[in-house]
Amino acid sequence: MKSNNKPANLALPKKAVSKPAKVTIHQLPTGVRGLDDILGGGIPEFSFNIIGGTPGCGKTTMAHQIAFANATPKKPALYFTVIGEPVIKMLRYQQQFPFFDESKLGKDIRFFNLSDVVLEKDLNAVLEEIIKQVTAANPGIVVVDSFRTVARKAGNEVGEVEMQSFIHRLAQFLTSWEATTFLVGEYSEDEIRDNPLFTMVDGIFWLSQVAERNSVVRKLRIMKLRGQASVPGMHTVRIGDGGLQAFSRTLGLGGNKKQSPRRRRLSVGIPELDKMLGGGIFEGDSLLVAGPSGTGKSALATQFIAEGLHRGEAGIMAIFEERPEGYTQRASTFGLNLKTAQQNGKLETLYLRPLDLSVDETMQEIFDAIGRVGAKRLVIDSLVGFEMALAPGFRADFRESLYRMIGALTGAGITILSTVEVEDRFTELAFSHYAISFLTDDIIRMRYVEIDGQLRKVMVVVKMRGGNHSKDIREYVITNKGVVVIHPRRTDYHALITGIPQQTGPRRAQEFETAPEPKASK
Amino acid sequence: MSRATPQMRNFAKRLIADEARGYKLSATKTSADFNVCEKLRPNLAAFMGNTGFRALLSRALALAQAEVPRLRAVHVNADGALEGAEEHRAQLDPDELFEGRVVLLAQLLGLLVAFIGENLTLRLVREVWPKASLDD
Repeated sequence: MKSNNKPANLALPKKAVSKPAKVTIHQLPTGVRGLDDILGGGIPEFSFNIIGGTPGCGKTTMAHQIAFANATPKKPALYFTVIGEPVIKMLRYQQQFPFFDESKLGKDIRFFNLSDVVLEKDLNAVLEEIIKQVTAANPGIVVVDSFRTVARKAGNEVGEVEMQSFIHRLAQFLTSWEATTFLVGEYSEDEIRDNPLFTMVDGIFWLSQVAERNSVVRKLRIMKLRGQASVPGMHTVRIGDGGLQAFSRTLGLGGNKKQSPRRRRLSVGIPELDKMLGGGIFEGDSLLVAGPSGTGKSALATQFIAEGLHRGEAGIMAIFEERPEGYTQRASTFGLNLKTAQQNGKLETLYLRPLDLSVDETMQEIFDAIGRVGAKRLVIDSLVGFEMALAPGFRADFRESLYRMIGALTGAGITILSTVEVEDRFTELAFSHYAISFLTDDIIRMRYVEIDGQLRKVMVVVKMRGGNHSKDIREYVITNKGVVVIHPRRTDYHALITGIPQQTGPRRAQEFETAPEPKASK
Repeated sequence: MSRATPQMRNFAKRLIADEARGYKLSATKTSADFNVCEKLRPNLAAFMGNTGFRALLSRALALAQAEVPRLRAVHVNADGALEGAEEHRAQLDPDELFEGRVVLLAQLLGLLVAFIGENLTLRLVREVWPKASLDD
């Protein structure tokens, strides 16, 4: 007999056991280019944050950008000013930025001066005034600038516990009123550990200025952000004509390098060199052209870009040494027309020479330009100039940054030709003093050699990842067609790479020999 | 440098006239002394703090006094209100008083324009007089 005493099925129906949905934390845009990515998507809604740092780092500008990006008539931004920068000066300066939409003032963005209450009354009165204004305005964003002033004034009169209690009540009220809050304050990094404010807030946006030698660079660190993962580390920020802009130190790392097994080969615009490369360089490769000054690296780079344009592939030239006009002019002497492509938006020349750039900013500039013209080819001329354009603080990380940048760009399917100047030595064939050959797929080395009383030029394909290539050391000349690899393929010399080759065969009669590059005529 | 440009003076005159109409008073000379400044005060003080408003109004008054010496009887009190005209009203010519009010308001508005621009100044003024316009 079957027993009916089955254990009771205590399990709930499937529907009931399914996990209750997690709360969705909506994210607000910051209005600061690059910052949303650093934050992991945006600002967590209803969070209580601090924008801290030393004076002049861009705290107020950041607060304004956030306010303008989110303020609407229904959910305005309420901007409390407390002593610090007088509001008329604040507005005078902030209205210079394009994000400052004057039509939003009054309804969408409301300024309220708390100075008198802070100066004349106690913390309870300050809280009451904030509650009164917030209740009346129903804001989505609340800024208190500077909160440090509130804390400093109160700190002279009340104890730490009262101050903590005030912050707690303020945070609780503003969160309950569904406001996302930013307390702006001038703090030094040493204060963070002992100041309870930093424990109580949900997010700490830390801005700083780093001076090194003659260069000053602004940095941002998200020290804390509850509820979501932000990108750790120090990110470069710049205050430019458009306001504050942030450059994530992991910019571009999100994209995976997707290379199809059957990649196209791209012509570099020099037929013999294409043959040496086994048919051209692979699309999406990073090619390093190394050689001493005057060997034709920029000429080769120009031909590479021009060939792409000829085949309908838009290009970017990021140049750090030569002026853009010089590039265009040289191209025209080779019979290559870059001007038309520039006018048609198929070619953009980025002339980057400030001395306090970060690689991230450069990368952003290049990414933006790629987006604008739909570029497939990129020239970086040269890595030495690029390094010089960086702030000293970034030069130490140049290799790492370059690795990240090249990875990001080739990951986006861009074929890169970088040039690097190397000193010719007569004992070895150095590729680059950066030891960066590990991050390039292909390397072409150019060098001078002494032959028959002439300083001639040779090139060799040293490396080609994923493809066979010629091992020949070929002589080339720079003519009115640009870099031209000349014949014969085989030479009667050995030890060419030392720069002082030795003739192997019998010496040919001088009268039958024409020098590839004639000596200057009188 | 005087901020009371002809445009600012016209603007000030219109605001004073509009305000006088609001009081159902004849267009100008007999209306309350500085009621336009007074009406602007709460909004401007909320915007820039009482101290900020007092500083700006004091500067405007100093500039206006250089143009209309009779305004030397007027001063800005601790709350940011203008005082002093009442006691000297008997000695003041109504035209001169009216001119003083226009110049003072024009200087105040002119200073605001110098600091934050026409658009923002107009926005602040329109919080009190929504139809106010810089031009006729």
